[in-house]
Amino acid sequence: MLLDRRLILTLAVAWLAAGPACAEPMVGQPAPAFQARDADGRTVSLAQFRGRTVVLEWTNNGCPYVGKHYGSGNMQRLQAQATADGVAWLTIISSAPGFQGYLTGPQAKAWKAKVGARSSDVLLDPKGVVGRLYEARTTPHMFVIDKTGRLVYMGGVDDQPTTDPESLKIAKPYLAEALADVKAGRPVATPVSQPYGCSVKYGSAE
Amino acid sequence: MKFLLGALVALLLPVALLVPAAALAQPVKTGHIEAELVASAQGIAPGQTIQIALRQSIQKGWHTYWKNAGDSGEPTRIAWTTPAGWSVSDFTWPTPRRLPVGPLVNYGYEGEVLLPMTLTAPKDATPGQPVTLNAAVQFLVCADVCVPEDAKLTLSLPVTAGPAPADPKWGPRIQKTLADAPKPAGLTAAFEKQGAVVKVAITGQALKGADLAGAYFYPASGTVIDHAKPQPIERGPEGLTLTLTPGYDFQKPQPPAELAGVLALEGKAYEVSAAPGPLPAGASGLGAPPAHAPVPAGADKLGLLSAALFALVGGLILNLMPCVFPVLAMKAASLAGHGGGAHAEARRQGLAFGAGAVVTFLVLAGLLIALRSAGAAVGWGFQLQDPPVVAVLALLMLGVALNLSGVFEIGTSLQGVGSGLAAQSGLVGAFFTGTLAVVVAAPCTAPFMGPALGWALTQPPAAALVVFLFLGVGFALPFVAVAFAPGLLERLPRPGPWMEVFRKALAFPMYATVVWLVWVLTVQVGPDAVPRILGAAIVLALAGWLAGAAQRRVALGERAAPLGVAAAVLIAVAVVGGAFWPRYAEATAATAESAHLDYQPYTPEKLAALQAEGRPVLVNYTAAWCVSCQVNDRVALSTKAVAEALKRDNAVYLKADWTKRDPAIAAELASYGRAGVPLYLVYGAKGGPPAILPSILTQGTVVKALDKAAQAS
Repeated sequence: MLLDRRLILTLAVAWLAAGPACAEPMVGQPAPAFQARDADGRTVSLAQFRGRTVVLEWTNNGCPYVGKHYGSGNMQRLQAQATADGVAWLTIISSAPGFQGYLTGPQAKAWKAKVGARSSDVLLDPKGVVGRLYEARTTPHMFVIDKTGRLVYMGGVDDQPTTDPESLKIAKPYLAEALADVKAGRPVATPVSQPYGCSVKYGSAE
Repeated sequence: MKFLLGALVALLLPVALLVPAAALAQPVKTGHIEAELVASAQGIAPGQTIQIALRQSIQKGWHTYWKNAGDSGEPTRIAWTTPAGWSVSDFTWPTPRRLPVGPLVNYGYEGEVLLPMTLTAPKDATPGQPVTLNAAVQFLVCADVCVPEDAKLTLSLPVTAGPAPADPKWGPRIQKTLADAPKPAGLTAAFEKQGAVVKVAITGQALKGADLAGAYFYPASGTVIDHAKPQPIERGPEGLTLTLTPGYDFQKPQPPAELAGVLALEGKAYEVSAAPGPLPAGASGLGAPPAHAPVPAGADKLGLLSAALFALVGGLILNLMPCVFPVLAMKAASLAGHGGGAHAEARRQGLAFGAGAVVTFLVLAGLLIALRSAGAAVGWGFQLQDPPVVAVLALLMLGVALNLSGVFEIGTSLQGVGSGLAAQSGLVGAFFTGTLAVVVAAPCTAPFMGPALGWALTQPPAAALVVFLFLGVGFALPFVAVAFAPGLLERLPRPGPWMEVFRKALAFPMYATVVWLVWVLTVQVGPDAVPRILGAAIVLALAGWLAGAAQRRVALGERAAPLGVAAAVLIAVAVVGGAFWPRYAEATAATAESAHLDYQPYTPEKLAALQAEGRPVLVNYTAAWCVSCQVNDRVALSTKAVAEALKRDNAVYLKADWTKRDPAIAAELASYGRAGVPLYLVYGAKGGPPAILPSILTQGTVVKALDKAAQAS
């Protein structure tokens, strides 16, 4: 009987062992803390950037929407401007191994060099832990965290959900505007917008 | 990257350049889509408006998107170049499908889809000259990866003096697409943020008596709700209420002024625009729809085969659940009768028992399905929610116990309920042992059974009955298998005087069952039930004693009829008085008492309020008649460790008591794909969907879940 009970327990736990989903990120609230390895294998935590503005950028080098922003140089320009202003810009890859956009450390470094990315660091999140924590949905999906660690912007790079580089000319650049607001000490005018792009390639539902 | 894009352009460019040269109505292949423009009529007259459509035939496994693509993706776009005076409307978007991608959900189309538009000719168009309309179409087509594809499409139509006949191929198909597309139906809708959720209540003529199974709200905007979360449904006399998870827009300083979108029902879809404000009455109060409630990932993915398999395993495991222990005693007694030899008889008895179990499962399932389709919010174990049924069962168990104690014997008659001991012609007895076992076991939701039952109750009756059939087969299987395994039977001791001792010992678990049922009854109707049911029990015991006396007289050849009649009358008195007349009154607020753990009664409002406070919440869906629930309560919940964890994590313990019928609780169970209790949910401190704990709890599981829920903040 005892054995049976243990067996049932094991089966039951196996069947129902869906972990609780994490709480969604909220603008105006503290940004969820995380740690992740960067492309060099160093552990990077959000906490170490306290006192600096932080940008989180989800990316996938095979995604045509990411292609629009890197192929046109738009993303690199935004990165250069932000890092010149002292912003820590973390590019995060949450693609699972075997899925589009997954890169190993050396591959990520090679990619960064090749596209001329100007981000502060590239973080590898192959298990999608950080992605799920922030509920990152698309590539690109952008988050801005202010110096006190509060989430002040999340959404798209701009308001043009298309892969056409021509759209950049008419785009309302939400991210650049949010960073300008933060720099000037103003509340962010548009704190949330719809992220657009390819789905983040988490690999599985669990 | 640049190379990749270059390669893509290089691949697509020739296709795009070649298109204009292609003949009219020649579909264009863009890579993963075959696209063309089609018209509902063979021509168009000056000033006339006709329907045309962009047809996409999408490669298997790939999809394109609705006007709100959901969590990712991009809707199909079209840009027209038309001669002066000609105009084309926007797409009429057909109702999309939900397309899950990992933890995300997109809205779009698979297979072949027509996106209709209206084409209007200028009044001064010249009949006899064909018109050529050019369109540049951009698709985002995705499987797990996405590819932007585009095409230059052309539609050439003759301009005719009068309206042209319908196109035989595309006319009817475009008409059908338009007929199925979402339409305004004069629905009234309001939404309100309630704690961590947004409720949208929709009422209107079109929803009265409609099949609300699988109702789903597709928002027109991509930021107003969380697309990936389930949308529990509650019905009302005038419509329905959906519980949505708020999206980004609710984090803005200005909450949304409108919640617009499409309410999709089975085979129908309506345009809805909800305004902020109090929810209209008539949109709730009737519980979840009887079929096809949206259930979390997992349960809704079960097919018939896997649901049947789960049911089979669940039925097997049901034999080990605490509910069934008393009946196990009866089965053991029944088996013992076949020790050594008597194989043919054992087989017949085994089959009779199996038939009894299976038939009873099917009867209960049929009753359950009938009640639910009549709108009653009942679930598995419903039969024990009625005080008279509980009272009858209590008396029946007492009768069985008295029989096992030897107060009276059961011969060959149909009254041989539960007595497998009368082995000579106990087939009927074996059948009813099966029946009894199922009736008593039913309130236990064993692991595996929960998902299978939850699935079954969302299916058409035939599929549901198959699941219940397998449940019955699984439940009966061990006993039938033993009866059919000569090796096992040989191992059982031969019948002999020891059986009499064994039988009398087995009476005691049956007496314990009576105690349990009496307790269930008092929880249902209050302490007034105690003297009444126990009085009935004494009358029944008297009847048993008289019956025994009559049997002994018969054995001695004496006259026994008066005694027999007296016994029968007393049985009737006991059953009627104990169970049916006068009717049991509803108890006021008696609830199963938990020993050491402080709890508050569950209401959805309280849960929302606690979540808004950012406290983790443990919700225990329980019932007094659910023995598994009681065991979990004693063994795992009402323990010092859990009490400490609640305190440490600033968590609150809510109890949703389903001992009596409660449509609200039934609806909540349904929204988790469950048809019965127990169900244990732990909500994290920062909201989001709850963690579902196993049906068999340990202290450690609960503590761990609570700690994890607190950490989420």
